[in-house]
Amino acid sequence: MIVSMTGIVKRYNAHTALDNLDLTVNEGEALGLLGPNGAGKTTAIRVLTGLTTADSGEVKLFGSEMRGTAAAIKKKIGLVPQDLALYETLSARDNLNYFGRLYGVTGATLKDRVAEALDVLGLSDVAGKAPKKFSGGMKRRLNIGCAIIHKPELLILDEPTVGIDPQSRNHILDFVELMNKQGTTVLYTSHYMEEVERVCSRVLIMDAGRVIAGGSVEELTRSTLIEETVSVEVRDPAPSLKESISKVQGVLRCEGEGRTLLVTSKADSQNLARILECATPYVILGVEAHRPTLEDAFLTLTGKKLRDGNET
Amino acid sequence: MKAFLATFWMGSKFLWRNPVSVAILICFPIVIILVLGSALSAYITPETDLEPAAVAAAADPGGLLGTFLQNDEVSRFLDVTFTDREEAERLASNEEVVAAIVEENGEVSVIRPGVGGLYTQLTMSLIDSYKQIGSAAVIAAMSGKNVYDILGKDVSVKDIPLGTRIPGSIDYYAVTMLVMILLYTGMNGLDLFNKGLLSDTGRRMLTTSASKPALIGGMFAAASVTSFLQGMVTFAFTGLVYGVYWGERIPLVLLTLFAIVLFSQALCIFLTMAIRHNGAVMGISQALFWTMTFVSKGYAKVSFGEMDKVFQYAPNSMAHTVIFGAIFGGNEAKMTSNLIILYALCLVLLMLAFVSGRRRVA
Repeated sequence: MIVSMTGIVKRYNAHTALDNLDLTVNEGEALGLLGPNGAGKTTAIRVLTGLTTADSGEVKLFGSEMRGTAAAIKKKIGLVPQDLALYETLSARDNLNYFGRLYGVTGATLKDRVAEALDVLGLSDVAGKAPKKFSGGMKRRLNIGCAIIHKPELLILDEPTVGIDPQSRNHILDFVELMNKQGTTVLYTSHYMEEVERVCSRVLIMDAGRVIAGGSVEELTRSTLIEETVSVEVRDPAPSLKESISKVQGVLRCEGEGRTLLVTSKADSQNLARILECATPYVILGVEAHRPTLEDAFLTLTGKKLRDGNET
Repeated sequence: MKAFLATFWMGSKFLWRNPVSVAILICFPIVIILVLGSALSAYITPETDLEPAAVAAAADPGGLLGTFLQNDEVSRFLDVTFTDREEAERLASNEEVVAAIVEENGEVSVIRPGVGGLYTQLTMSLIDSYKQIGSAAVIAAMSGKNVYDILGKDVSVKDIPLGTRIPGSIDYYAVTMLVMILLYTGMNGLDLFNKGLLSDTGRRMLTTSASKPALIGGMFAAASVTSFLQGMVTFAFTGLVYGVYWGERIPLVLLTLFAIVLFSQALCIFLTMAIRHNGAVMGISQALFWTMTFVSKGYAKVSFGEMDKVFQYAPNSMAHTVIFGAIFGGNEAKMTSNLIILYALCLVLLMLAFVSGRRRVA
């Protein structure tokens, strides 16, 4: 186990940002940390990286207790912060060189690592240019580069793709997947479910400062009681069709006008065959079953109400 | 050490590439000195349409003040009639002259009719400049005497190593201007810490294996050395272009200038660490610099009476004393004590900055 956070409590005045948080990250895995604004994801990362100290609880990294000055531990961590953390007037190469040196990488090793990072992040052509002239995607890539220059064993990415184009996002996700395949343990937070589904082998959902659910994407969607929906399109349906489908076991409601009916059932009802049986007398034009997604699980677990509070 | 050096190198690069810093600390002073230089340099004859102002002087025409009032530079602006005090006051009250200059018991004062206009102000400025050490040195050079004769106890008895150059107003202004500029270089430290350690970039820096003292120390060193080098551009410019006389004790002058740089950085960094609101820090530091420059007569030669005894310990004043002393032969004990006080001030501020900094970045 690379990360172990046990019973972490962090309060800012009256606000409890982390409320007995328990979190573990296993070696070699890519763990996704999901949660609405204010759930405590960023605070958890700040505690984990030593930027802030917890009021109580225990943080262990690589088997040792994490303290703010634990240089040996910090050398094994790479943090990609949510906000761009670069010197915008210095060149991309200068930024990589600087952060590499802060991690103790020097000489020929540093030179090679900088060249490698520039290459893999697609920034070799602009190595001598200042990030202030970069596009959002290029800045985000450099932001990642500064965190991997020392080849960390644990890479923490706090919403690394905010506000960038699909190409850059894809590039970043490919890169994170590659790092993970090469053995780097990844802790990834994002608001984009499809990113987490793509990159992470395990997902934790946080709300109000604690982990409320966890597992693989499949486990989460299966274990969360999510309603299933099936859309059935038939030619010239009689009004009685709606009624007969509504009587099928597990069906909660059958809605729709005209040819398409939307059937909502309880989670794990396994009643598709019986629904289709009701429609057999008609010409069935199409059937579409909507599988619950991570987003459905997330919204079911954390609620659908908008939360515009500040991220902590 | 590696983190310290990396931060020092990065900070220096950051500041040299900061157009605002370069503009304010290098270009602006050069422009100001160009303007002042054109107006004040003994080498350049100022062209003016002003008619010389009629003034009455109750002073010995053969004395130092008399010599000053009759020299070429001053007589372009003042048409002086030497007389006794009573007559000088009468001429002034009847507005037959723009001012009466009275020398009595070694004190020089200007009596002006009413508030006075441009000519009166001009007369007062010229007399003020006479009271300053730079002009005193000019007079000393012209009269073949040494500065001690003019300024008394604060200046040691020694010949002034003037060489072939007679110091003029530009020599005085080069010193006061450079000290003022270096005081404002604290903005470099402020900028470097705000955009570095106290920003998102700084938070990333703190997650690295580098220690906080190495990061804070590297930035402080970068701000101090860069600011000093930026000041040296002005130093070299005044020396090479205008031939400003910086004396023969250049290391002592530089040591004093460096003390001002350190003081300024330490003050700004302390304020940055102690006060969370950047706007407030900017405002307070600017106000402090302005006040320090003002009370040390950097902007205008205003007398504060008894308070001048206190204001002589303003960092600018102390630096002026040491630098003028180094150039023209000042009281060694006073110069040494001033320099020690300056460095002690830096040390105290630096310690306060460091303590506040550790808390702020924690």
